[in-house]
Amino acid sequence: MTTDAATTQLSPLLAGKNRGFIDRFGDRALYIITLLAALLSVAVVLGLAYKIVDEAAPAMSKFGLGFLTTSNFDPVHGEFGAAQFIYGTAVSSFGALLLATPISVAIALFLTELAPRSSRTAIGTLVELLAGIPSVILGLWGIIVLGPVLNDTIEPALHSVLGWIPLFGGTYSLVGLFPAILILTIMTVPIVSSLTREIFATVPPTDKEGALALGATRWEMIKTVVLPYSRPGIIGAVILGLGRAVGEAIAVTQVIGNTAGIHSNIFLPADTLASKIANTYQGADPSTTIPALAYFAVILFVLSLIFNSVARLLVRRVQSRAGRAG
Amino acid sequence: MISRKSILAVACCGVLALGVAACGSSSSSSTSGGSSGTANTPLTGAGSTLIAPLMSKWQSDYSSRTGNTVTYGAIGSGGGIEQITAGTVDFGASDAPLTPDQQKAAADVLMIPWALSSTDPVYNINGVSDGLRLDGPTLANIFLGNITAWNDPAIAKLNPGVTLPSTKITPVYRSDGSGDTYILTDYLSKVSSEWKSKVGVGTEVKFPTGVGGKGNDGVSAVLSKTDGAIAYVGAAYAASNGFNQVAVENAAGKFLQPTLGTISAAAAAVKTIPSNNAVSLTDPPKSATNAYPLASYTYVLAPSTSDKADSLKEFITYAIGPGQSFGPSLLFAKLPSQIISADKATIAKIGG
Amino acid sequence: MESSQRPDHPLLAARTGNLRRRRAANRTMETSAWIAAVLAVAVLVLVIGSVAVKGLSSISLNFLTQNADPNSIEATGGIANALVGTGIMVGLATLMAVPVGILTAIYSNEFAGSRSASTIRYFLDVLNGVPTIVTGIFIFGLIVTAQGHQSGWAGAIALAIVMLPLVARSCQEVLALVPGSVKEAGLALGASRWRTTVSVVVPTALSGMITGALLAVARALGETAPLLFVSSIFATNLSTDPSQALPSVPLVIFQFSESPTPAKHDQAWAAALVLIVVVLLISIVARVLSARMRRRLGAAR
Repeated sequence: MTTDAATTQLSPLLAGKNRGFIDRFGDRALYIITLLAALLSVAVVLGLAYKIVDEAAPAMSKFGLGFLTTSNFDPVHGEFGAAQFIYGTAVSSFGALLLATPISVAIALFLTELAPRSSRTAIGTLVELLAGIPSVILGLWGIIVLGPVLNDTIEPALHSVLGWIPLFGGTYSLVGLFPAILILTIMTVPIVSSLTREIFATVPPTDKEGALALGATRWEMIKTVVLPYSRPGIIGAVILGLGRAVGEAIAVTQVIGNTAGIHSNIFLPADTLASKIANTYQGADPSTTIPALAYFAVILFVLSLIFNSVARLLVRRVQSRAGRAG
Repeated sequence: MISRKSILAVACCGVLALGVAACGSSSSSSTSGGSSGTANTPLTGAGSTLIAPLMSKWQSDYSSRTGNTVTYGAIGSGGGIEQITAGTVDFGASDAPLTPDQQKAAADVLMIPWALSSTDPVYNINGVSDGLRLDGPTLANIFLGNITAWNDPAIAKLNPGVTLPSTKITPVYRSDGSGDTYILTDYLSKVSSEWKSKVGVGTEVKFPTGVGGKGNDGVSAVLSKTDGAIAYVGAAYAASNGFNQVAVENAAGKFLQPTLGTISAAAAAVKTIPSNNAVSLTDPPKSATNAYPLASYTYVLAPSTSDKADSLKEFITYAIGPGQSFGPSLLFAKLPSQIISADKATIAKIGG
Repeated sequence: MESSQRPDHPLLAARTGNLRRRRAANRTMETSAWIAAVLAVAVLVLVIGSVAVKGLSSISLNFLTQNADPNSIEATGGIANALVGTGIMVGLATLMAVPVGILTAIYSNEFAGSRSASTIRYFLDVLNGVPTIVTGIFIFGLIVTAQGHQSGWAGAIALAIVMLPLVARSCQEVLALVPGSVKEAGLALGASRWRTTVSVVVPTALSGMITGALLAVARALGETAPLLFVSSIFATNLSTDPSQALPSVPLVIFQFSESPTPAKHDQAWAAALVLIVVVLLISIVARVLSARMRRRLGAAR
């Protein structure tokens, strides 16, 4: 709307009488309503944090921080520990980010530097549509399509070529860490690549053109200008992707095999914090098991807080640098 | 271009319509046209996955008979016990009777056996067909992790003439609180002292080894995907998925698979019913020659005082009466008349 | 750039290297980037293709008009009750999240000082990052335990919590894009703050806000975890009553996917097809709207 249009819109409204009272009342009313909404938004977060900690309190006081290093889940005797689930969460998420980061950066580079301008929006949209696929559908695909392909073809292939690495040990399975890592990679690539794209867009074009003018190839320009400039931002994007991977419950629980354990073979089944909650919370014993699972939720919440804060700092650093240089 | 005002107007109308639909429908829970039904209050229950296939038949038949809706969540027997203790459902369903502690916590909950079936050890081994023979101690050793390969001599001894592959054994167990787990562990504790001391009996136990699955569905899914797996599922699931079933040796020395006949024989072996109706049918005595060792009743857990007492009584009476006709095709055997009389007496105790 | 003053700068070093080697490295990078993009699109096509191929064969009018019964051992009917349940819960969630999100954004942009505004932004980002399964536990403890039973309302509130940060953040960004000149014009004409906001600023940003709301709706349609404990024990008849638990399409897909019966898998694929079509349509509409808005705002400057 241009300023002319604003004038046109407002003039009839401003022509009426009794404007003074309604205006003052309206200002106050809008302020109060929006303030309440903002407070509600903040209250939801605080309430959520409080409620989760409250539910986990019996387990937190019983097990303390040792919970994080004990490997146990024994509802019968009320003995719980999160270590094997933390292991599953860590391996699946880090594995996914290990795969997703180079792919996302490559895609972002492709979309900002290499792709023909006309197809940039189309391909960019397609990659973002990947983010819109509900996780339960990815999990369904993982169970029925990906799992058998991995079990019959890819895992034996990996084993025969790289079997000396304990990661690719001898037992194949239709479910396990490997399909979970792949599904999580599919989920995080769109997030990391779209954030990285935004960060690449803040690189001052003069720097890039300068490098090219000095005779650098495109790759050299990227390597010496774009990447170093964007590095904190890329790390921030990766951390946000990590947060997404860590918190995913549904798609992971569909393909990971629901058998907690700490072992080096990624073909074997495992379990994660979020997946265990999804599996066990319903109908669990409120006096013993539920506090332990709520403790898992506290761990997840704290992790998401940390990831969020670190990522914000990093992305902000890139943006402020863009502000100064631009 | 469509004016913004009209977009807003349409949006507001849509919003209002939704609000009206949501609020206005709070009185209508759709009940199909039905005849009298003394009580027309919808019932909500949760628990056992073993009975879920039969419950599904009951739900639709009961609804067309009486117009009354029964909502059932198959979250596992453990969950059923939890929820009826907390009072968040109108009835619970469990294959496992309440332990003394659980009964104390749920003081006014009555146990009423309303179906009779079994938990079946089933397996998926490439190259081995139906009817593999196992006895109690061997089954226990498999789930304990003492026997790790299918061509173990202990298994081969019971199955002369069967070529057993060297495939690794993967036990599959229920990761949720399960009545099937209770039935299996009840049986294994009776036939293996090592099992009894190491693992024990319960709806949720710490299995020494293996892979977990959620619900009978989840375990069936894992079994069908894992070569060399052995699991235990409700009889209806074993039959409908066409799994290969173990022929378990009973106390009389016969290797039996679960059928309506062998399940009924196990039920017939129990002559006295305790006052709380909790009956264990596992590992029947030698005299019951044709009895399947892993049969069990499955119970409805009903509160003795409830404001839905009339509906509850009507539904449970239906279940042990006309509802039983849906049982046989799902491997639920007929309830013995002794149990039905005990049930009727207990149902009478449900009051408002 | 200081490269001319720093003889050890990699660019200068590169210039003295073998040109063929440099060009080869460049080509490798470009090829890898192409491969990565093709890979991503290929996976998208693979997944959506699987859903389309496997789902299409099981879709029928029957499927859309009969109800789902997860307890039954055979695969019954269809997903009618789940479609209705999802519609009602997401609808109610939208009614709750969109107004609160817009109002929060207005407060943050119009009234809050910069510190309050960034605090609000921080909390919204935190809320956005909370795993949805944790949101499910929160609502279970807050509402389901207190009420004693699951309900569609609890499910709607859980979904609203998931939607809120998406709506609020995108509205914040869009409101910040409204040119200051427009606001000042309104105020200069003597309109009060609220008048300016309601009659000038918001309408300018409207398509952006609608985009944000649509994307939030698309997200909520596909959410399973918040509903897992909060609205998962539902009746098998068609109910529009949110005071009891309502089925939802993603949850039904989840339950069918965990079953061993191939017939139930077929139904899961068909339900997934319906869900994905709706979600993708909404996402595309949102993006078209967003592109249009950006063009218009660009013209206004």
